[in-house]
Amino acid sequence: MIAPGERMRCHPSVIVENSLSIVVLLALLVGRFETTAVAGVLAAAVAALLLFNYRQWSRTTIRFSETEIVVERETLFKLKKTLPYAKIASVNVNRGIVNRLFGTARLQININSGSSATVPEAVLTFRQDMAEEIRAAIADRLYGREAAPDEDEEAEPLATLSPADVVVHGLLSVPTYQTLIGSVFLVYSVLQLYGSAGAGFWADSRALASLTMFFIVQIGPSVSLIFRYYNYRVYRRGDTIYLQHGLFRTYRTSFDVSRVNAVRVKSTFAARLLHRSWIEAEVVGLASGSGESLRPVLCLLKDDATQQTLLRELVPEFVYERNPERQPAGARSVLRIRAAAASLALVLAMAWPSLYVYREAADLAGVAGAVLPWALPLATVLAVLAIFYATHVSYRITEFDAGKDLFSFVNGAVDREAVTMNYDKVQTVQVTQGPVARLFGVARAEVYLLSSRGGTSISSGYFSEDRLGVIGETVMERIASGEYDWRKNSV
Amino acid sequence: MSFPGPVSGRTPVDEGSPDSGTGTDGYRRLNRKSLLSIYFGHAVSYAILLGAFILLETYAERFLGPNYVLVRYAFIAVLAVVLVYMAVAPPVFYARYRYRITADRIDVRSGVLVLRHILVPIERVHQVEVSRGPVNSALGLAEVTITTAGGVATLSYLELEEAERVAELLNSLVGRMLKGRVPATEPAGD
Repeated sequence: MIAPGERMRCHPSVIVENSLSIVVLLALLVGRFETTAVAGVLAAAVAALLLFNYRQWSRTTIRFSETEIVVERETLFKLKKTLPYAKIASVNVNRGIVNRLFGTARLQININSGSSATVPEAVLTFRQDMAEEIRAAIADRLYGREAAPDEDEEAEPLATLSPADVVVHGLLSVPTYQTLIGSVFLVYSVLQLYGSAGAGFWADSRALASLTMFFIVQIGPSVSLIFRYYNYRVYRRGDTIYLQHGLFRTYRTSFDVSRVNAVRVKSTFAARLLHRSWIEAEVVGLASGSGESLRPVLCLLKDDATQQTLLRELVPEFVYERNPERQPAGARSVLRIRAAAASLALVLAMAWPSLYVYREAADLAGVAGAVLPWALPLATVLAVLAIFYATHVSYRITEFDAGKDLFSFVNGAVDREAVTMNYDKVQTVQVTQGPVARLFGVARAEVYLLSSRGGTSISSGYFSEDRLGVIGETVMERIASGEYDWRKNSV
Repeated sequence: MSFPGPVSGRTPVDEGSPDSGTGTDGYRRLNRKSLLSIYFGHAVSYAILLGAFILLETYAERFLGPNYVLVRYAFIAVLAVVLVYMAVAPPVFYARYRYRITADRIDVRSGVLVLRHILVPIERVHQVEVSRGPVNSALGLAEVTITTAGGVATLSYLELEEAERVAELLNSLVGRMLKGRVPATEPAGD
């Protein structure tokens, strides 16, 4: 048990945790320069880094008082960070490989801050049982004495997600454009390998480089998602939503449903072909940092019917009887003009490279001579067709729905997203009309919420200015009428 | 929620100000000095663009070879278009820019090619800041940056006195709103 006011330090393993990646990199370099003086310099750099991190650790203290957490550092750059319990938005625990080796856990403390929405306010490493104890104590304060469940405690998950679901999610939730780019690299490397018989080292190295890019763009993100969401569980107790997942690094996340600003139901092109989608939430003060996804996933890729059931059970606050409206005819004209302008720009940009390739490849013999000269013009025509098709789909699927307590936008010709937002979470509304949109009497709205990525906006399609004005007016009416409760929505 | 002030009527709280900026619709306009500031800002941007053009003239030929002439004419065309825009845009910006502060909201309408209507509920305002660059300082102008939890809105090219008044007004509105909440928070023991 930690006595109030007692000064303590993080677990010493934090020195290893903070140094590991750079030490590994430097060690590799030391191996590379083993016979030169550079190796000595690099070895000294490793020692200096360890010394620096040791000093940082030894001079950083944490104090848990009755009302706040105080983190103090007495190094060259002095630091005193005070985190009042009343301002803490969430406190989560995750464990990486180093943590498991040392029996520790990382405690991530977030406050509601627009400026630091994407990184935790404090990341503290403690022995695992101590981290859990602190988390439980803070959770008591955050969630009104509702005890955070123990890790081993059996909880009834709201959806059953098998390892196969996790793999499917990892493979199909990567954005379609990323999949396309990855596929281009894969096809190129296969062609290079196919044509490299007798072509020598350069063809092989190009194939290898392209294959590496395919792994970086396509396979890496998929594998990362599979590791991240392995053994995924989600459940709700009272007003608190709990998430648990992870293979090598484990994540235990909880947040009050009142912190959810918006819910997104998303699907990539491939997922839609299988009638599947996944759910993400915009949660204030849930930054996990380290480049990890900042929006907690409330359900992995599952069939649409399961998603709807889960939405009702998990976040009924974001479910309502929708009566969506499609874009007016003026929007079609605006979208077509935009598509024409984009196509013209593309054709102009591709004209010179097409002529150049045509001249260079015209004299080639065989299939290459027949195909290559026309490759770029053909690609341009296909791209123009794709632009007009995407425009057609975008016009068809874009929706806006203004309900009583919630409103929603549906967007995305290729990767689709339905965002349901709460009027009470809207910070600013901006209605924008470009010169072409003005001609056809339509406008777009940008709604600014405090999101898990900071102050980002969510855009609507093209609708009449008056229609979009309903969003701001409803926000104001709710404030004026008293429907808006600042206690539940204050950030 | 109890909110002080004429919320439902949406009466501009600064209505009746002696300044001539208030129109019949309650929106306020900018002082003509703002035109000078905008023109000066545009002149600086144009000077940077011209500098880039001079660099292109001096060094680009050897890198671009036969494409140099094409790039040069494209750059000249861009310079001409930007010059026309920079000359024409400020009066349009000035004519269109208007803002209104009521007891419950901040309303800003602006834009030259793209028109924007920004609405910020006073309830969402976290911070108000008055700032001035060197040009605006010389002209007695300032801008008011209104920060919410989900982004910022800016009232640009206000006269310094007006900017201070707007900031004070917003701070007092936010203060009144927070004051109204104090009794409700005390029993909770936060």
